[in-house]
Amino acid sequence: MTLPIQDPALAAEGLGVPPRRHGFLRSVLRERKAAVIGLAIIVFFILLSVIAPYISPYSATAQTCPVYAPPSSRHWLGCDDGGIDMLSELMQGGRISLVVGFAATFVAMVIGGGVGILSGYFGRWIDTGLMRVTDYLLVIPDLVFAVVIADLWGPSLFHVIIVIGILEWTSTARIIRAQVMSLKERAYVKRAQAIGSSPARVITRHILPQVGPLLMANTVLTIALVIYLETALAFLGLEDPTVTTWGTILEHAFERTAISSGAWWAIVPDGFVIAIVIVGCFLLGQAIEDALNPRLKVAHLSVRRWRIRPLAGRGPGAI
Amino acid sequence: MSGLRKHRPAALLAAAAAVLAVAACSSGGSGSSGGSTVKQGGVFRMGTSSTIDSLNPFIAFQSDAYTTFEYIYPTLVQYTPSLKIVENFARSWNTSPDGRTWTFTTQPNAKWSDGKPLTAADAAWTFSTILKFADGATANSAGYVAHMKSATAPNATTLVLSYSQPVANVLSQVQQVPILPEHVWAQHATGNGKALKTFQNTAPIVSGGPFVLTKYTPKQVALFKRNASFYGPKPHIDGFGLQFFQTTDAEVTALKSGQLDGVEVPVPPTSVATLKAAHFTVRSSPGIAFDDFIINSSPDQQASHKELLNPLLRQAFDHAINRQAVVATSLLGHGKPGSTIIPPATGQWSDPSIKPVPFSLATAGQLLDKAGYKMGPDGLRVADGHPMSYTVIMPSDLAGEYLNRTFQIIQPDFKKIGVQLNLKVLDPSAAYDAITANNYRNFEISMWDWFPLTDPDFMLSVLTCNSFDVWNDTGYCSKAYDNLYSQQSAAVNPAQRQQVVYQMQQMIASAQPYLVIDYPDSIEAQSSHWSLLPEVGGGSFNSMSTIPMVSVHRL
Amino acid sequence: MRGADYIVKRGFFALVTIYVAITINFFLFRVLPGNAVTDLSRVPHASPALRHALLTEFGLDKPKWEQYLIYLKNLAHGNMGISFANQQPVSHLLLADLKNTIPMVTVGTVAAIILGVFTGVLAAWRRTSASDHLSTNTAIFFYAFPTQWLGLMLLILFAGILPAGGMSDPFLFTAEPFWQHLADIGKHMFLPAATLMLTAFGSYTLVVRSSMLETLGEDYVLTARAKGLPVRRVVWRHAVRNALLPMVTLIALELGFIVGGALLVEVIFSWPGIGLAMYSAIGQRDYPMLQGGFLILTVSVILLNFAADLLYFRLDPRIST
Repeated sequence: MTLPIQDPALAAEGLGVPPRRHGFLRSVLRERKAAVIGLAIIVFFILLSVIAPYISPYSATAQTCPVYAPPSSRHWLGCDDGGIDMLSELMQGGRISLVVGFAATFVAMVIGGGVGILSGYFGRWIDTGLMRVTDYLLVIPDLVFAVVIADLWGPSLFHVIIVIGILEWTSTARIIRAQVMSLKERAYVKRAQAIGSSPARVITRHILPQVGPLLMANTVLTIALVIYLETALAFLGLEDPTVTTWGTILEHAFERTAISSGAWWAIVPDGFVIAIVIVGCFLLGQAIEDALNPRLKVAHLSVRRWRIRPLAGRGPGAI
Repeated sequence: MSGLRKHRPAALLAAAAAVLAVAACSSGGSGSSGGSTVKQGGVFRMGTSSTIDSLNPFIAFQSDAYTTFEYIYPTLVQYTPSLKIVENFARSWNTSPDGRTWTFTTQPNAKWSDGKPLTAADAAWTFSTILKFADGATANSAGYVAHMKSATAPNATTLVLSYSQPVANVLSQVQQVPILPEHVWAQHATGNGKALKTFQNTAPIVSGGPFVLTKYTPKQVALFKRNASFYGPKPHIDGFGLQFFQTTDAEVTALKSGQLDGVEVPVPPTSVATLKAAHFTVRSSPGIAFDDFIINSSPDQQASHKELLNPLLRQAFDHAINRQAVVATSLLGHGKPGSTIIPPATGQWSDPSIKPVPFSLATAGQLLDKAGYKMGPDGLRVADGHPMSYTVIMPSDLAGEYLNRTFQIIQPDFKKIGVQLNLKVLDPSAAYDAITANNYRNFEISMWDWFPLTDPDFMLSVLTCNSFDVWNDTGYCSKAYDNLYSQQSAAVNPAQRQQVVYQMQQMIASAQPYLVIDYPDSIEAQSSHWSLLPEVGGGSFNSMSTIPMVSVHRL
Repeated sequence: MRGADYIVKRGFFALVTIYVAITINFFLFRVLPGNAVTDLSRVPHASPALRHALLTEFGLDKPKWEQYLIYLKNLAHGNMGISFANQQPVSHLLLADLKNTIPMVTVGTVAAIILGVFTGVLAAWRRTSASDHLSTNTAIFFYAFPTQWLGLMLLILFAGILPAGGMSDPFLFTAEPFWQHLADIGKHMFLPAATLMLTAFGSYTLVVRSSMLETLGEDYVLTARAKGLPVRRVVWRHAVRNALLPMVTLIALELGFIVGGALLVEVIFSWPGIGLAMYSAIGQRDYPMLQGGFLILTVSVILLNFAADLLYFRLDPRIST
């Protein structure tokens, strides 16, 4: 397999010197249009969420128009079942959706990264134990499990964040573990161990920086999945209904007869917004992962990975 | 999500009350005998977003189950659209002078759908069995036989019910008891009667009412076929079906596309406009339900929110609820501002002197000032040393409907007068647990609803001390109130009873454990190819009467 | 022998995972606020004796470890308890529901696979062209749209043309002829299965495309082309077959996603399956139903994963080396 990107840093590894990753992200963006698009989308929505309270045309909580008013020049996307301006709701709903997305992903990344590093570095029974746990959790259907836990705990944003975080660390753990296991064999790591550096030092100085980009790619992909799960949980009524997120917007529409009232504007824009953000995360995450190690194939039985989003393509024209 | 309508009174009744009294036992016909010009035949397809949870009357909770029993099992009496009680299986009745013995004359030569005779003995067996296991297997129905001593059938057409004291609302109580075929059920009533609750009673069911339940697929459909051996006026239709949907949106969409002929209450207000535009018959009539704002009324409640007992606080809260806005937005205009706990639509029992409290944030603020709760630096008033911030418990099934929107209207208004409300949504049983926790000491505020009966007894009983951990969701308990309650339940004279009932409403209106927010209209929609289904007590498909499905016909 | 080794190992793993799932299932439902017994004992004149009788009947008064053993013993006999809501055996109810879910999910998944393979092959074959971009981007977008949104969109688009819910036209007093009945179910199944198809096919497209691109770049393909062999035959013989391996793995990996999707789809279309049963049970706090539903779904996914392991074993020549 040819490397689409000639990464001089990788070549340096053969010399027993840890490769530098400066400008890695920049090189990814330069080479891959998709990464630029993905990053642009994500940044756009983050900015939008930050300035939303200042630029949204109407309140996202108070009634400013008749219930289910159709799109008009005053309300571009019409109004929902509470007479709230849809456009404002979408703008501000994004804030919480993204916050939940990032928070849950953070939880998943911390757990997943930690488990992956520990498992890959220390090996043997720690590895076996942690990987068994990972395997068991992998098989349990995500949404069903999340639904059960969220229902038992009660509908609240905090519970949603914790539940999703607990479920989504497993794929990250496996990927990081694989990476750490191969890193462990590198010359510079062995040298550091030979001169007596403590595991903590080796991990923080030599392993973490190398694992960083992979973790970053995985983080971005996990955000996509987390947002997806949040909308599903909200739709099933397991999220705090007083909070406006992209997920609860769909839930309100469903519960308050948007379809039979013909109020398509309470449904259609919301789905597009969610999809665009997820696609953005996907594009960026895929691009980074591809650039890192194009040898990563979809599946090999010995490294059975749990990938919710498969790898997209090969070659310079690949996404 | 369609949840269990816990407050459907058909599920559990607590005690007795007088009804339209002996004078009302007019044996007027149920008025459904169609003329020969009425089209016969056809199947009426009804949609529902509720479910039949069980076909066993001793277990079922959901209203659709009760409606099923109403149509397939005979009841002694039933209601008419004007809420009069008229004959059904019982053709006439009278009371002994001391009011403790009721004698019913039942239909002669009646048969069950399997050909066996349907007599007063079946009725006697049903009532006796409920009495026998009232502490165990038949506890759900025990309320209907309160104060009953015995039920006997001296002959095939006479049923005698004896009571230990005069009971005012015998007729509305027996109206709710489906008479079961002894020859099917007796075998399960052995020992401690536990088998009564595990008997599945699968379709096709041996029925004695105007319809036979021929097919039942859970979560899909229940099919009712005209009962050829029914003792009363025969339905015009060949049968009707009840199809189960997960949401009202799916139901209404099915109605619009011609999959259904009618949808059960409630039709959400948001669908009214599109249905009318599509030439469906939509009726919005004053309902007997109400939404409430519950303030913890237990005198032992936690010190951290004991100020909730202050009458000035309750009056202030009452003035801070913008009922007009709630009706306009949550109910889309299909409702009325709320006042008394016995809704006006129930007729003579509702006290007309109790009016909705006008919305005025200024008055609310003044009342709180008068109570000494000064505004703090962060925009919240301080009461007894702590900021006025309260958790509002709401059941999830209502939060998913419009009660959430109602809260969103109330919350900012309360903020303006310096009171913070925080919503906590729990599923219905967790919500009730939260309210009753620690003997009602812990909860602060809740928002819920009630579907009381047309007879006020049930709703009044909810606020009694006896109803703690049963139906009482306020922590309110007053000996004076309980005394009045016993008075009205024994008051056979309707004028006298009305006085007591009015007195009780006024007592509640000043104690304010409930702030009644609104009375949502009862909205029904049906195809215009069928005759108008009569509404009985706010709905055309419920357990109060068989008249709607018996009288409906194609146009 | 390496092969038998592998099967035994994977089989053992499946069994252990099932046991773990059973145990997680039990503990989940015993650590909660409130319980459904309060519903059942909310009867007028309810004596403490009655409440206690109900508690004992449902075994909620014993210490946790005893409850656990009782639970395991019952499970071994296929007894998953009695539904709190309607007092019928949970296993009967859920198996009946499962019978409704399986056909719909199978049709939807098979359709997703077919559509995914088709679009993936198309994209790989016409690499970097407009059809490639269109195929791939469409696949990604459909995968990104929330499942429930796709369902609602289909409802909007097909209201009036296809049934809005349910599994069959119910208002018939006499049983209809078999083929008519089948057609009726098919009509009702179309929208839910189509939703599943649209939400799931995207990942298959991408996998098939990438796998085929790999194969198309392989030496033996170039050799075959150089030799003048008809390219199409080469593609179908080698490339597609090589794409099967990752597809099988992917399908197994995606099972959890499909099960979740089925839950959402059943709620939207009132499809009377196990997803809908769980959804109702949640609102009613019907623990035995919830436990049973969760367990059945999880065990199904575990078993299907094991089946995928076996299939992969058959297909992958590298395992035996």
